[in-house]
Amino acid sequence: MTVATVRRTFLAAAALCAAGALHAQAVVGQAAPPLQAMDANGKAVNLADYKGKTVVLEWVNPSCPFVKKHYGSGNMQATQKAAAGQGVVWLTVSSTAPSHKEYQKPAELAAWMAEQKAASTLVMDDSGAVGKAWGAKTTPHLFIVNPAGQVVYNGAIDSKPSANPADIPGATNYVNAALGELKAGQGIGKAATTPYGCSIKYAS
Amino acid sequence: MNFHAVFTRWALALVLSGASALAPAQEQSAPVKSLQAAARLLAHAPEGVAPGKTLWLGLEIEHAPHWHTYWKNPGDSGLPTTLAWTLPAGLTAGDIQWPAPKKLPLGPMVNYGFEGTLLLPVAVPLPATLPPGPLKIDLQAQWLVCKDVCIPEEGQFSITLQATASAGAPLTAHAAAFAAAQAAKPLEGPSIKAEARVSGATLVVRAEGLPGGWRGREVAYFAADAGVIDHAQREQAEWAGEVLTLKVPLSPNRSESPTAMQAVLTQGPEAVALPVTLVGGWAAASSAPATSDAPPVEPWQPPAPSTGLGLALVLAFLGGLLLNLMPCVFPVLSLKAFALVQEEAGQRRIGAIAYTAGVVLSFVALAGLLLALRAGGEQIGWGFQLQTPWVVATLAALFTLIALNLFGVFEVALALPGHVAGWRAQAPWLDQAATGVLSVAIASPCTAPFMGAALGAALALPAWQALAVFASLGLGMAAPYALIAFVPALARLLPRPGAWMARVRTLLAFPMLATVLWLVWVLGVQTGIDGAVALLVLLLGVAYAVWAWTQGGWGWRLSAAVVLGAAGVWAAPSLHQPDGAAGVANAAAPKAQAAGWQAWSPEAQAQTLAEGKPVFVDFTAAWCISCQYNKRNALADAAVQADFAKRGVVLMRADWTLRDATITAELRRLGRSGVPVYALYKPGAAAPAQPVLLPEILSADGVRESLAATLGG
Repeated sequence: MTVATVRRTFLAAAALCAAGALHAQAVVGQAAPPLQAMDANGKAVNLADYKGKTVVLEWVNPSCPFVKKHYGSGNMQATQKAAAGQGVVWLTVSSTAPSHKEYQKPAELAAWMAEQKAASTLVMDDSGAVGKAWGAKTTPHLFIVNPAGQVVYNGAIDSKPSANPADIPGATNYVNAALGELKAGQGIGKAATTPYGCSIKYAS
Repeated sequence: MNFHAVFTRWALALVLSGASALAPAQEQSAPVKSLQAAARLLAHAPEGVAPGKTLWLGLEIEHAPHWHTYWKNPGDSGLPTTLAWTLPAGLTAGDIQWPAPKKLPLGPMVNYGFEGTLLLPVAVPLPATLPPGPLKIDLQAQWLVCKDVCIPEEGQFSITLQATASAGAPLTAHAAAFAAAQAAKPLEGPSIKAEARVSGATLVVRAEGLPGGWRGREVAYFAADAGVIDHAQREQAEWAGEVLTLKVPLSPNRSESPTAMQAVLTQGPEAVALPVTLVGGWAAASSAPATSDAPPVEPWQPPAPSTGLGLALVLAFLGGLLLNLMPCVFPVLSLKAFALVQEEAGQRRIGAIAYTAGVVLSFVALAGLLLALRAGGEQIGWGFQLQTPWVVATLAALFTLIALNLFGVFEVALALPGHVAGWRAQAPWLDQAATGVLSVAIASPCTAPFMGAALGAALALPAWQALAVFASLGLGMAAPYALIAFVPALARLLPRPGAWMARVRTLLAFPMLATVLWLVWVLGVQTGIDGAVALLVLLLGVAYAVWAWTQGGWGWRLSAAVVLGAAGVWAAPSLHQPDGAAGVANAAAPKAQAAGWQAWSPEAQAQTLAEGKPVFVDFTAAWCISCQYNKRNALADAAVQADFAKRGVVLMRADWTLRDATITAELRRLGRSGVPVYALYKPGAAAPAQPVLLPEILSADGVRESLAATLGG
C-alpha cells in the first residue's frame, strides 16, 4: 500500500464518517436506529426497553406553525389517544438546540404538553444526536417502529402538506392508517412519505 | 411566538387586503406586507388586454434579508407557494413558471427556494371572443416564509383591467420584472433531456443537449419531484464530451417512484429544465452497494449470422480496395504513387512488401486495441481514435510536416539526427512501412461501403477471427501497390521520372494542407474555437521549429526548441483533455441541429415512432468524410428533402464526433461499428424497431427509392 493509497483510504473513511453523522436515517424495513435520551424529568428513555411493543416517534417544536396546526386542532392528540388505545407507545421528541430562540426548557415543554393534553412521553434531544441518527427533518416528522424493532413508517402526519388547519378533515392520516394496518397484520400501504413542516432547529 | 400571534397576523393580512379590494376607487389591491415579506399582484400585457393576446399575471414577493420562500419541490422542509386564481369566464391561468431555485442549506438539511425579490408569473391566453370591458382578476395566494423560523402567510389580491376590442394600450409598467422572470426561467429545448438509471442508492442521470458553455463546469441538480432524492447530499457531476453524468443520491426514505421526472440544472446564473426519463424501473433500487455505477449495457447480440467469416474476409478485402478512393486517404496515396514512380523495380518490390506489412500490422494493432478496450468496458467503435482531440492534433502536425517537406521548406535528411538518417538510407523499406501506418491512421474513420457490415460482423467474431478480418482489410488496401510492384507490365505504364516531378511534389503539398484544414475543423468541433486556435498555434510552432532546426547552428536550433516548447505549453491545456472536457464554448455546435434535423436519442426515436411518424436517423461524425459528403449532397438534395417532408419523416442526427456510449450501443444494436449509418424506421413496428439500413455512400435517387420502398407512395 502506497502513501497515496493510505491517504485516499483515510480521506474516504473520513468522508464516510462525516456522511454518517449527517445522513444517517431510519429506513423503512431496517432495524430502528438507537434512541437513548432523557425525558422531561431527567429519567432515561431507551427505545430498546420497548421491544415487543409498537412505538411511534413524533418530532415537535411548539413554535412551529405546522405543529400548531396539528395540536391547535387537536388532530395530533386524537392520533396519540387512538394509538394509546391499541397499546402503542408514543414518544414526542424535541431536537431543538438550546441556543435557538424557539428552544423550550424541559419543564416549559412538559407544561405545554400538559396544556395540550398530549398523550405521550416527552423526550429531550438537545444535542440533536437522536434526531440526526433518525434523519428527522421536520416538525412534525413521524416514525413507527414495530414490535420487532424495525422501522415500518417514516414520513408525514398526513397527506396534505400545509399549515392550514382547515386541510385536516380532507387529509389521510398516515399514522392512523399505518397503525390500523399493523394491527390487522397487513402490509403498510404508505410506508414512506415526504414529511412536511418547519425544519428542525438542530444545534450546529 | 404562539399560535394566536400567527393567527392574528393572518387575520390582519386578510382584513387589510380584503378591505383594499373592496375600496371602489382602487383598481388594484394593496400589497400584503409583513416583517418577513411583501407581496403584490402584478399584471403585464405588452400587446394590450385584447382578444388573442397573452396576459401575464404574477405574484411578486420581496423577502426581507435572509428570509426565503420555496420552490415547487421545497426540499427537506417547507412548502411551495400556491396561487389560486379566480378569473372571468373563458380565461384560464397557466402553471407557475418557476424561476430556477437556489439550494438553501440549514444544518443537516437542504431546502430549494428563493431569496431577494421573486416574481412567480403565469400566462393567461386571452380568447378571441374576449368582450371589451372590465376584467376582474382575483388571486388567493399562500406562501411559507422562513429564516430559522417559519411563518405561513397568505393574501387575497385583486386587480381590474380594461379589455379593449382590438390591440389597445399595452400594459408595461412591470415589463422589467416580467422580463427578469422570463430570463430566470430554466431554458427548455427538445434536445435537453436525460435518461436515468437506478444504481443501488444512486440515481445515475445522463443529461444531454446542455448549453455548450457548460462543458466541464460545475452543475447543480434540483429534483422537481418531492420524495425521491436525498436533497442534502451533494450530487457528483462528471462531464464526458457534451454528456453530463450526475450521480444523485436517492433518499433512503424514498416515497415516490415516478418514471417521468423533472429537474432543473443550474450552472452559475444559467438554468435549464431537464425532463428525466427513468430506464429500467425502480425495482433495482436497493440499499445494497452497487457493483458499478455505469449504466448497464444490454448484452451485445451479434447481428444476423448470415455474414460468416469467409464472407467477412472477402467483404473486408473489397472494402480495403475501395478505401484507396476515400477522400481522407487520397493525399497519402498520392505520396505513395510518387514514390512508386521514382523507385527501381527491386526497390519497388521490397517497398510494396514493407508497405503491405505496415498497413496490415496497423489495422491488426488498431483492431486489437479496439477489442481490448471494448473488453475493458469502453463504449467505443471503429474510428474511436479520432474521438480523442490529441490524436487529431498529432495527425494535423504530421500532415503539416509532410506538406512543408513537399514544399521544400526542409529536407528530411537534414532534420533527422545523423545516425537516424544513415539508418534510414540503409533501410528504405522503413519509409514504406511508415507510409503504410500513416495510411491506416488516416483511412480508419472512413468506413467505406461494405466495411460497415464487415467490421460490425468482425467485432462480433472471436478475437482471432476479428483480427483476420482486419488483416484482410489491410491486404485489400495495399493490393494495388503490390500488384504494380510485382507485375512488370503494370509498372511499365508508370510515367518516367523527370523534371515534372518537382512540380508535382509541390502540387501534392496542397491536398496535405487540405487534410490539415479538415483536422483543424474536427478538433474545433470537438473542443471549440479555443482548441482549434491552440492547434493552429501549435502547427505554426511546428513549422517554424522544423525550418529553424534545418538551418544548422546552435542558435537556430535553440530558437526551434524554444518556439516549439512555448507553442506546446500554450496549446496543451486546450488539447490535452480527452473528450474536450475543457469548458469551451461552441462545443455543442454540431448538436445545434441544422434546420429540420433534431438530435437523436432512443427516447425521441421511440416517442416519434409511437406517434405514428417514420424516423430517419443519420449517424454521423465531424471526422467522417463520407458522412460530410452525404450530408452536403444526397441528404441536402431538394428532391430528397421534399420526399422526406411529403411522408412526414422526422429527421434525427446522432453525432458521434466525441465518444457517446448511447450512440455506440445503438450502432452495435444495428450490427455496425462505425459511422456513417443511415437508418429508416417505419412507424408502428414492434419494439425494438428494426430499421431499413441505407448504403454508406448515399445517392439522392437511392434515398428516394428507399423511402418509396419502405414507406410506400
